[in-house]
Amino acid sequence: MAEKKKTTTKKTETKKPITKKAAPVKQEIKKQAPAAKPAAKPVATGSTTQQKPRVGVFICHCGTNIAGSMDIPTVEAYAKTIPGVAFVDNYQYMCSTPGQGKIEKAIAEHKLTGIVVAACSPRLHEPTFRTATKEGGLNPFRFEMANIREQNSWVHMHDQEGATDKAKDAIRIAVAKAALLLDLFPKKVPVEKAAMVVGAGVAGMQAALDLSAAGIKTYLIEADTSIGGRMSQLDKTFPTLDCSQCILTPKMVDVGREPLIELYTYSEVHEVEGYIGNFDVTIRKKARGVLTPTEATARGLIGGGCNGCGDCDAVCPVIKPNAFEMGMKPRKAIYINHPQVVPLIYTIDFDSCVKCGLCVTACGPEKLAIDLESKDEFIKVKVGTAILATGYELFPIEKKEEWGYKRFENVITGLEFERLICASGPTGGHLVRPSDGQTPKKVAFVLCAGSRDNTGNGKPYCSRFCCMYSLKHAHQIIEKIPGCTPYLFYMDIRSFGKAYEEFYYRIQDEGAKFIRGRVANIIEDPKTKSLHVMTDDTLLDRPVDMEVDMVVLASAVQPSDDTNRTRRLFGVSCSSDGWLLEAHPKLNPCGTTTAGVFLAGVCQGPKDIPDTVASAEGAASAASIPIHKGEVELEPYFASCIDEKCAGCGMCVNLCPYSALALVEKDGRTVMEVTEAKCKGCGTCGGFCPGGAIWMNHFTTPQIVAQIDAFLLGGEQ
Amino acid sequence: MERTKGYPAALDKKLQDTRLYLEDSNPEFTKSVKAISRTNAHMCYQCGTCTGSCPSAPRSTYRIRKFMRRAVLGLENETLIDPDLWLCTTCYSCSDRCPRDIIPTDVIMAMRNLAFKRDIVPVNFLKTVTAIYASGHGVPNNDVNRAAREKIGLSRDPPTTHTYAEYMPGIRKILDHYKLKANADRIIKEREG
Ligand SMILES: Cc1cc2nc3c(=O)[nH]c(=O)nc-3n(C[C@H](O)[C@H](O)[C@H](O)COP(=O)(O)OP(=O)(O)OC[C@H]3O[C@@H](n4cnc5c(N)ncnc54)[C@H](O)[C@@H]3O)c2cc1C
Ligand code: SF4
Ligand code: SF4
Ligand code: SF4
Ligand code: SF4
Repeated sequence: MAEKKKTTTKKTETKKPITKKAAPVKQEIKKQAPAAKPAAKPVATGSTTQQKPRVGVFICHCGTNIAGSMDIPTVEAYAKTIPGVAFVDNYQYMCSTPGQGKIEKAIAEHKLTGIVVAACSPRLHEPTFRTATKEGGLNPFRFEMANIREQNSWVHMHDQEGATDKAKDAIRIAVAKAALLLDLFPKKVPVEKAAMVVGAGVAGMQAALDLSAAGIKTYLIEADTSIGGRMSQLDKTFPTLDCSQCILTPKMVDVGREPLIELYTYSEVHEVEGYIGNFDVTIRKKARGVLTPTEATARGLIGGGCNGCGDCDAVCPVIKPNAFEMGMKPRKAIYINHPQVVPLIYTIDFDSCVKCGLCVTACGPEKLAIDLESKDEFIKVKVGTAILATGYELFPIEKKEEWGYKRFENVITGLEFERLICASGPTGGHLVRPSDGQTPKKVAFVLCAGSRDNTGNGKPYCSRFCCMYSLKHAHQIIEKIPGCTPYLFYMDIRSFGKAYEEFYYRIQDEGAKFIRGRVANIIEDPKTKSLHVMTDDTLLDRPVDMEVDMVVLASAVQPSDDTNRTRRLFGVSCSSDGWLLEAHPKLNPCGTTTAGVFLAGVCQGPKDIPDTVASAEGAASAASIPIHKGEVELEPYFASCIDEKCAGCGMCVNLCPYSALALVEKDGRTVMEVTEAKCKGCGTCGGFCPGGAIWMNHFTTPQIVAQIDAFLLGGEQ
Repeated sequence: MERTKGYPAALDKKLQDTRLYLEDSNPEFTKSVKAISRTNAHMCYQCGTCTGSCPSAPRSTYRIRKFMRRAVLGLENETLIDPDLWLCTTCYSCSDRCPRDIIPTDVIMAMRNLAFKRDIVPVNFLKTVTAIYASGHGVPNNDVNRAAREKIGLSRDPPTTHTYAEYMPGIRKILDHYKLKANADRIIKEREG
């Protein structure tokens, strides 16, 4: 009997409506006339005309997480007395298969109309219990969670009685809502078959290559004039010591060639509208002053456009520091970062260009690549999903005054070291002292410079790759400069990756000296410009004053400059240190709490190249799932307008942060209408409407009022 | 026998069990140091920045980092009886730079407070108390100073209790309230007879 009943309910409650809905929904979007069924129902609001509520309550022990802090039998006995409750049960782990089975079975056996699970947080297990509710034959939105773990047992561990009472309250409140829950049907929207990747360092490049390889059109947006990010500034890469350019350049070339990747360099994301499946993104292409061959052709200059010859570079009279070379090499106002750039297109830095026109003449009448009057362009594209890969920059280490960066010439950063030791760098790969061009014989490396620092002037986290790159730097000087000794001042050597500890062994074996002590301060000898490194050899227990020729600071890293603005556009949060926040640090490290937006590489937190590439491939895979599925379900929490009550005042329209509301004519009256796909269910309009005409699905006024009553009146109606 | 004098004792000392036992730790000591110093005395990660900054360390056996370690582990006894405890100049260089944002100087001060409760305090510190009680200054003015002051156009005595002796009773009242002078006198007497 019960079995039979179960199958029939399933049919009517779940399968049928969903199949019925699935088809019309798509049309509805086009017609822009949503809010059909769910809105129609609540019109007869206030007193529920539903069947008499029969709520099932399931109390979870969560092992001892919950049961250890409260008296479950007391809570259970109390739950049985709550009006509307038809069945109560408890179990060690409600989220387990047997736990979920209890819900499914009870729905059929006790003809339940609503389910309450008193356990952890909706964030953790709402989806689990919704599925169980659905499996039992009820609409999944007839489920309500009472949090008795995070907000109760964990914080009231030492107050058994208080925790028990609080759990009773939480369950009573949840039951009040569960009694009034209505069937809801998620909306399906189609997903645009295109993706966007913001930032073209190794993370963004890898993500874009993977997405395009999966057949997805990908817009790759890079703020700089060329792609490659920090990795293109590195000389060699630990622990294998392959040349960074040699392994990166092929990828850069692939990105440039791949027809499915549309590359926008010297560009940024200007505006983002929409939601998963349908992001409308405006790209700002900054005035570059130089036309690509494609752009030239579009202007009718067949065969024109920049071919990277550099004739302009030779004549430009304006000299500026080259940021790619960490300011250690000059560039012109018209420049490329380095000879291997992708794309090989010059850029005019209009902040320093004096518009003398010499470059225009040098470029000549055939190419006509230079346009001194070029303006920013705004391009609109539609994408289904997006990946942020905006990387990092160095913490301004001069703020730690004790180490003298920018005060003492021979104190440099790790990135400056990379350029100085690199054959294509400003010194042709000769590491020299900036003060006198001499080759150093003793070089100190200051690890954890500004990392693991709780003073507020520095970063509390470990920057994660500086131990390893300092080992690499030590190797590079031993290899390149005979007789030169590297001294590594460290607190811990964090060589945690595959083949990293072995690399540490190798570098010590090569002759690097390790001194376990964080550098207290550095003093410059004003005559020789040599440096005294002061610390404590904590293993010898002796203060140290070591005179060296040069100091390299393994500076902390922080999110790149424009990360904050960009993440806001996509509605992505960040943690207090600015790194972008993943949906779950362990189980969803590439996702964010904004559906359809993912994270790759260092923008989520410091990572070396192996981890960066792995995270990029993870993000690309995650971002391709909705695109391959072709449609996504949206939570049916949107607002609906009760046309009879709406006065058409339109005051809500401007309040909506997602521009989901509009005034329309209906049956000769002006009423508000919700574009459900845009509505995020925030409730701003619902709380505001003076006429009470806005019905917030799943958070309806009667439901909320019932919850408040249940709390304040202690169950008495 | 005469010829080996001292050796057996020295050997015995060398062969002493120097291991750290759980009983050596007093968690209450960590708590008191933290409460008195009002700094995170339990958070030191032994980086060495403090000792590297310390002007006292290069020319003495004083190691601020070692005291921080003792604070973390609650090694009360060996902390309070260590004469090095009194070698901090209170320059605050370590406190300026500690990456864990601890104030080691104040940790030392807290430890000195706790040592004083056990009457452990070097006599020269106590004589400072006597000097303050007498003149209001830990280091009272002297003729060499007076001459120097005069030379650069200052008054012979600074505008302190040296000039305004009428404030001395107030200062003495404070010291008496905390029984500082009485205790100093008592301990000096015990030590010097
Ligand atoms: C001195 C040093 C040595 C290193 N050596 C090694 C090594 O040997 N081996 C190793 O594995 N790792 C090494 N690393 C770490 C390595 O640099 C990183 O793992 C890697 O660069 C991270 O790549 P990414 O793409 O996440 O970030 P990035 O390389 O920073 O790339 C981010 C890209 O996004 C762009 N961008 C930023 N903001 C925006 C925006 N708002 N809009 C559009 N574009 C934007 C940037 O211009 C940049 O091109 C080293 C790091 C340093 C500092
Ligand atoms: S116009 Fe600008 S970019 Fe061209 S040569 Fe003159 S200063 Fe350089
Ligand atoms: S990776 Fe090493 S040097 Fe860098 S912050 Fe972490 S521990 Fe310090
Ligand atoms: S500087 Fe701070 S963290 Fe480092 S050893 Fe000294 S007290 Fe400990
Ligand atoms: S305050 Fe004391 S411990 Fe700290 S650096 Fe100065 S003398 Fe050394």
